[in-house]
Amino acid sequence: MQQYKIIFSGSVGAGKSTAIKVISDIEVVATEARASDHIQKMKESTTVAMDYGRINLDAETTVHLYGTPGQERFSFMWEILAQGALGLVLLIDCSATAIKTDINRYLAAFKDFIKENAVVIGLTRSDLSTGIDWEMIYDTLAENDISAPVFEVDARNKTDINMLVEALVLSIDPTIDSTINPVVT
Amino acid sequence: MREESITSILADLNSSSTDIEASAIISTDGLVIASLLPTSVDEDRVGAMSAAMLSLGDRTALELDRGALEQVLIKGANGYILMTHVGHDAVLTVMTKSSAKLGLIFLDVKRAVADVTSVL
Repeated sequence: MQQYKIIFSGSVGAGKSTAIKVISDIEVVATEARASDHIQKMKESTTVAMDYGRINLDAETTVHLYGTPGQERFSFMWEILAQGALGLVLLIDCSATAIKTDINRYLAAFKDFIKENAVVIGLTRSDLSTGIDWEMIYDTLAENDISAPVFEVDARNKTDINMLVEALVLSIDPTIDSTINPVVT
Repeated sequence: MREESITSILADLNSSSTDIEASAIISTDGLVIASLLPTSVDEDRVGAMSAAMLSLGDRTALELDRGALEQVLIKGANGYILMTHVGHDAVLTVMTKSSAKLGLIFLDVKRAVADVTSVL
């Protein structure tokens, strides 16, 4: 039985909780509190400790999914949740005004983690943006000396998020059959 | 105005026992509403940690069938941290010395929670 732990982090409102909810095979353990800062314009509640979900890739492989809060004041949770994780899914809201700053902030916070572990980047909310500046994204990654797969995803879309997780699991262990079993609904 | 009345409730609480070293009222998403903390303590960290602990306590109490969460108590070598719900949207966090008599602290905290609830 293979067990993987991966974490979802990234900017506030990028869809970390949504992404975990949409792919988890179990009911997600969420810790939401009513937002009282400027974020309340964007969404009613915000994660204050963690989200936890789980997917079974196959009978032998389970992936535990942990989502972090986005706000920097919860950065102690980033460290706690990263312990023992093998990969990071970084979700970046690309309808935000300072995408580059956001990417830099999370890459810096997870710098040591990324040195040792796999990372994939998902760009979300592109439907609300004026278009993704891919050159800027790749430049930012290069400036941070990081090469990671980048995907444009919709956090509400199960196929999109499954693809992100598959890409991450594959880069953790290239031998694994990462095809996530389609769920019959 | 509200902040002042809450701060004065916290001042009463802190002076009710020499064992109480700090207290703060925090929104459940981790932002400080009012606080009386030593300058060595980072207000934002206290806020965020209180919110995270309380929300995990909430979930744990529910998942393990202990009903609605009332308090989270942390004991360290140098003292206690007690977090108590104030209505749905706020938390009272109190830090005490290790010599604190918990029964008394619970009573004082209960009183303060009632007072803050009437102001919030």
